[in-house]
Amino acid sequence: MKKRRILATIMSAAMFATTLVGCGSDNNNSSSNSGSNGSSGSANDGGGSGSVEELTWMFWDDLNATEDLISLGYKDTIERFNNDFKGKYHVTAITTNLEEYYNKLNALVAAGETPDVFIVSPGPQLTDYVEPGVAAPLDEYLNKDGWKDTFTSDAVFTQQTYDGKIYAVPLNTAAACCFYNTEMFEKAGAKVPTNWDEMMEACEKLKAAKYTPVTISAGTAWCLSMVAGYLCDAEGVDLPKLADGSASWEDGKLESACNKLLDLSKYFQRTAAGDTNDVATANFYNEEAAILIQGSWVIGQINGSNPDFESKCGVFQFPGVDKIIAKSDSLCMSSKTKNPEAAATLIKYFTDDTAQKYTAEKGGKIPVTKVQYDASVAPKQLGYVMDVFSNAKGTFGFYNESMPTTETGAHFDDTMVSVFLGDMTPAEAAKDMEEFYKTNCRK
Amino acid sequence: MSSSKSAVAELDPTSRKKIAPIQVVIYVFLILICITYIFPLLWVFNVSFKTNKEIFSAPFALPEKVTFDNYSFAWTAGRLGIATFNSFVVCVASLILSMIIGSMAAFGIARMRWKGAKLAMTYFLTGMMIPVHCVLIPLFTRFAKLGLSNTITGLILPYLTFSLPITIFIMTGFFKGIPNELIESACMEGANIFQIFFRICLPLGRTGLFVTGLMTFIGNWNELLLAMVFISDDAKKTLPVSLSKFVGPYNTNYSQMFAAIIIAIIPTIIVYCAFSNKIVDGLTAGAVKG
Amino acid sequence: MDKLLRNKKAIAVFMLPAFILFTLVLFIPIVQSVYYSFCDYKAVTDPVFIGFDNYKTLMHDKTFGIALKNSMFFLIFSCVSQLVVGLFYAALLTNIKAGRNTFKNIIYLPCVLSSAALGLMWMFIFSPKLGINQLLEKWGVEEPPLWLMDTKGHIILPMWIIAFVALWQYVGQSMMLYMAQISGISKSLMEASYIDGCTKAKTFRYITLPLIKPMIATAMSLNAIGSLKFFDLIYNMTEGGPNHKTEVLATHLYQQGFKYTKYGYASAIGVVLLILCLLVTLFINKVVKTEQYEM
Repeated sequence: MKKRRILATIMSAAMFATTLVGCGSDNNNSSSNSGSNGSSGSANDGGGSGSVEELTWMFWDDLNATEDLISLGYKDTIERFNNDFKGKYHVTAITTNLEEYYNKLNALVAAGETPDVFIVSPGPQLTDYVEPGVAAPLDEYLNKDGWKDTFTSDAVFTQQTYDGKIYAVPLNTAAACCFYNTEMFEKAGAKVPTNWDEMMEACEKLKAAKYTPVTISAGTAWCLSMVAGYLCDAEGVDLPKLADGSASWEDGKLESACNKLLDLSKYFQRTAAGDTNDVATANFYNEEAAILIQGSWVIGQINGSNPDFESKCGVFQFPGVDKIIAKSDSLCMSSKTKNPEAAATLIKYFTDDTAQKYTAEKGGKIPVTKVQYDASVAPKQLGYVMDVFSNAKGTFGFYNESMPTTETGAHFDDTMVSVFLGDMTPAEAAKDMEEFYKTNCRK
Repeated sequence: MSSSKSAVAELDPTSRKKIAPIQVVIYVFLILICITYIFPLLWVFNVSFKTNKEIFSAPFALPEKVTFDNYSFAWTAGRLGIATFNSFVVCVASLILSMIIGSMAAFGIARMRWKGAKLAMTYFLTGMMIPVHCVLIPLFTRFAKLGLSNTITGLILPYLTFSLPITIFIMTGFFKGIPNELIESACMEGANIFQIFFRICLPLGRTGLFVTGLMTFIGNWNELLLAMVFISDDAKKTLPVSLSKFVGPYNTNYSQMFAAIIIAIIPTIIVYCAFSNKIVDGLTAGAVKG
Repeated sequence: MDKLLRNKKAIAVFMLPAFILFTLVLFIPIVQSVYYSFCDYKAVTDPVFIGFDNYKTLMHDKTFGIALKNSMFFLIFSCVSQLVVGLFYAALLTNIKAGRNTFKNIIYLPCVLSSAALGLMWMFIFSPKLGINQLLEKWGVEEPPLWLMDTKGHIILPMWIIAFVALWQYVGQSMMLYMAQISGISKSLMEASYIDGCTKAKTFRYITLPLIKPMIATAMSLNAIGSLKFFDLIYNMTEGGPNHKTEVLATHLYQQGFKYTKYGYASAIGVVLLILCLLVTLFINKVVKTEQYEM
């Protein structure tokens, strides 16, 4: 009797397994089908015989739907790589939108399917992947064939270095600036502000001329928080001291930064509370608002979406601050990649002259290598940003990316949005941040 | 889409017989209600043929010229074509498997004579109360270890399992209703138990299979959360995920987004228009029993 | 025949596939989920038992508070509104002859459509520059409402909008359930009441309503569970924004679990959700029973 029962169990287990296998082969079919539907078709050349090394590259914009010129440049690079190494390597891009990016990346890491190469923002986000050993050190590859020497200076690796080892390769640098509509400024009689009072004055004039002075996104919290970051820096908020507990959020600095934010918020577009980053940026290049405070990565987006706008777009440094927020896209290599050589070669493709030239001339971002590019064909805004950059007395990171953990950064973003929405007074925000730091960040 | 008109047309001959004022009020009400159902869909349909500029310059006019550019963009760049195919594979596979496995268990509970039958039923029924969200994390980590995450199989398994309770419940009802004599006479003719199940009971439970199949298919076809968590590969995403990711709140190419929405709902609308009465009644019957 | 039906091997073959699947994919994960909720567990680390810490953190988590409040709002709103509107539609439809099917099918249509797609559709309709605001602009309304971006009030406008969209989408289901029950009431009973001089309204009040009470409980429990599981519409209409004000338990769980990979903490939210679902089901089941005795 017992034997029979065991037999029955095995039988149905086998049945279960066959159904699984059934689905499995099903799934293989469908994935190869979709591979051939995909844009870069060399996937099937190898026919899965194992002669082609498959790589994955993960990025935060949809390469097939995007109008962003930087993203399109990355797409070119990927295609270039796939063509040059046809039959040897093949890269598949895994893409998500920016908001979902880290969700998906974390999911893949947890699943043990870390993409071979993936993009990360320097700061705590990179730390999240360096500390548990998800990202591999890259010095070995950088030191080979003089790759490292092609970069403008070793300083470009500062944010990517942990314990003397480089864990990510920057691809370009962008600086957060104020972009403005020169035509609107002229018509309103506003002049380019150099300090906070002039900024308020300019906004008032723009408002009087029936323009929306500033477009910003509070729906995408980091956009608003970036402005708050500038204001905090102007007030002298010291993040490292806050993190180790030698300074308090309640010392009045954050409070006065928040008050300034509220002053500025009178000039925001009506829908700032819910507008997402893309919508807020569209307000600017569709000439519905005069000033956009954004990183220079938007140049690619602005010129890609509305090419006619380039001639009207000016740039000035965020008034009242002598430093500038800078950020670079960086690529990491998975420590578990089966083919580190290919992965490193792929990263190298993003910093070769073709890619870097494109970065400057088409994308409008500051290249990281010593590449010679033709400034006359590069977007006009890049020249302005370079000017702002060279006049600035230094750079600092995004506020939310300069805090101890990603969650702390997100909490800061949310708190700033709450202040903007009037759910918290500046004093309450300071208290809230202090409490959050006490419970989560200081040990 | 023209169904509201036909309703009005149907109304005429009857109202000629006797016109009660209350009836007129009811019809006015119903027509107003139906407008809230049809107008938004028509608006999206209309806008999906426009250019981005037209949406803002003439929001409610008919499109200047009808092109399918928006659609082809959404279909290829938004990967809705692949996604529709994936959704179809996932839904059909989980539909067939859940019907077979579910009705087998239902037969075991309804007709086989063993002590644990009632207990087994209760066990399966608790599944109906459990929201998918609660098992999301353990399932995700486990599938990740088994290499099932990011595969279509990894999606079929939970879809199939979550359709089981309702399938078992409804099919048990149907199998219990089959007269004993039928099974007895089959027995006399020397049929074994599996023949009785596949040749007699399953065909007799056709209506039940239709109802559960419909519920399973529609539920899985529209499922977003699990698919979003489990699938990260663009080539394996299902329709609701690809749509949400493509449209998302992050896009400003409105006309293409509208085309994507239409692509996502049009197959269901067509099928629904063709079999609406059967579908509505079937789903209602399923819900009553559930 | 009896021997055939008592064949243990056959029973096993019939039951085991479903049983194994169910246990592996549903039951064990539930147990695991409860265990994880007592653990400090992040994506890259292994779970470490920490007792009730996650639940303690939940109590101080502002967003969780909002999410719980919003879930409760949806629960109550959907139960009440689906009952009232569903009954109203059913009453209207049972009182007409021509075109009943057409109306019924139109109202039921959104129930079978993807709520992800419909959520996106309504997101555009209520977006500040499109849809309704374009209409309002045409009619000369200055400063039209911000709809999904409004943040004023105790229960903010976006919550009401999402609640009404949910009502719009799923009321067909309730309506059909009530209609099915009403059409089951015997004609002779209705006729008797007319002969006794009852008006249609009175018949509805004294005959129809009491007889469909059990169905009310069924429909309500469907709505209640459905509204607790709410995810698609919110995810696609507001993503929990502005500033987490439209977050519900399901979206908060998704955020915490898959954005910050706090698996342990997210599991605790899941357990709260599970308990709520069980409580609501039990509560409504009890109501069903008492009412069946009344019949």
